[in-house]
Amino acid sequence: MCWGQTGIFTFGQAALFGIGGYTVGLITTKTTITNLFIALSFAIVVGALISILIGFFLFSGKRVGELYVALVTLALSYICERLANSWTFLGSGNGIPGIPFPTILGKEINSNIGLFFMVYSFFAFTLIICVILVNSQFGLTMNAVRDDEERAEFFGYRRNKVQILVFTFSAVLASLAGGLFALSEGLVSPSMSGLALSTTTVLWVVLGGRGTFFGPLIALALLQAVNIQLQNILPSLWTILLGIILLLTMLFLPKGLSSIPSLYRQRKSERSAK
Amino acid sequence: MNLLRVEKVSMKFGPLLAVNNASLHLSQGEILGLIGPNGSGKSTLLHTICGRILATEGRIELLGIDITNQKPNLRASLGMGIKFQLARIYLEKTVRENILIALQASLSIWNQIRNRTLKQSADEIMKLASDFQLIDHLDTPARELSHGQRQWLELGMVLATKPKLLLLDEPTAGMSPKERSDTSRLIRSASRQCGVLIVEHDLDFIKELCDRICVIHHGEIVATGRPKEIENDERVKEVYLTRA
Repeated sequence: MCWGQTGIFTFGQAALFGIGGYTVGLITTKTTITNLFIALSFAIVVGALISILIGFFLFSGKRVGELYVALVTLALSYICERLANSWTFLGSGNGIPGIPFPTILGKEINSNIGLFFMVYSFFAFTLIICVILVNSQFGLTMNAVRDDEERAEFFGYRRNKVQILVFTFSAVLASLAGGLFALSEGLVSPSMSGLALSTTTVLWVVLGGRGTFFGPLIALALLQAVNIQLQNILPSLWTILLGIILLLTMLFLPKGLSSIPSLYRQRKSERSAK
Repeated sequence: MNLLRVEKVSMKFGPLLAVNNASLHLSQGEILGLIGPNGSGKSTLLHTICGRILATEGRIELLGIDITNQKPNLRASLGMGIKFQLARIYLEKTVRENILIALQASLSIWNQIRNRTLKQSADEIMKLASDFQLIDHLDTPARELSHGQRQWLELGMVLATKPKLLLLDEPTAGMSPKERSDTSRLIRSASRQCGVLIVEHDLDFIKELCDRICVIHHGEIVATGRPKEIENDERVKEVYLTRA
């Protein structure tokens, strides 16, 4: 939504993911709240408030470049990781362990299958919302701001309102995901809001294809599988090999893996035209 | 009341005075041409009017409202529309989507999410595409349009916002004589609903189309009048027409 549809190149998704996770971690361990929806509501509200503040700082003034947004959100991730590592209230380097299983109507979800369906339901629900938004008239507005924000302003669009709204919506999704992660894994740690996860999420989008929903999902699955295989086969070289794979993808498939079918169709029609 | 009133506007870029004490006005239904040699400040004046850059001195009014320091989107919501010299359209989108982008600009985000104007827009899109000879290209990506078609698409998009004031920056740049004549007809037709300010190099085009002409030289407006008066103005001949 942020980068692919609206052109907001953010490294802040991991920070918001961490904020959501830590909020749920604190709520469920410091109070008696274990209700799934209440805990996640806290994560969403905290994530939304923080992202509105950052959004106003980034977008309410004059137009800013992609790089500026990327650097500010990268700094945000760094700050969040350092804060989580050093603040004892947040468990310092150990994070917050012992997060209780979530409950719905007093019933505890404590099985792996139950937790899987809990996460999967939220994933499906948010994916449907995203698909509806992108395919609505608002989807065109997001793309208009992405492709030429000045032109959009001259048509009468309130560019900053659109950017703040999408940035906040993406942050809410990231906070929700962080909250779900905390509840399903039972712990949160500083690394879940850090630079490594920030860059990894951007890599999923680069590899899968910007502006698509299923591209990054395919990239995520593929990267995880390749990661595991390479770690076993080449424990000291796997990160370099992974970097080379990503570089080659960006060079030869600038629109990501999701563009392979259309490229194939294009080549085929070119051949048949000859 | 004038549709547009520009009062003693100046624009400085550091020590360079690009526009000096320029004043002009435009009424509803009128077509005003702004001409001048290269570097005379006509595009700078147009950009201060549309809000791309803010005037360092002076006052700009649209329908009596001071817009001198307003953002472009607020000027657009008051009824100002601009077509740039190089067509700024959404190349990856189809002609239909491009027109829809312009049509829905004033719609609230909530109504956009609810697709409130999708059905109503269909007729307007057809009409605009038909007026601008793009009806056979509705589902063609804008990238595949010719130069002239891109210029028309942008003009159509601006008119889709139903502007009260239409600003055109060299609308016929790079067009064939046939396309130029069609563009002239389209602008004339558009001027029935709004005032038009055109910045243009093509003198024949300007003389044929405009009700009045302003001549700008070294950032100053040196003459204003009907095309015939401008043609016979000694100062204009000296600074512009003899150079053309």
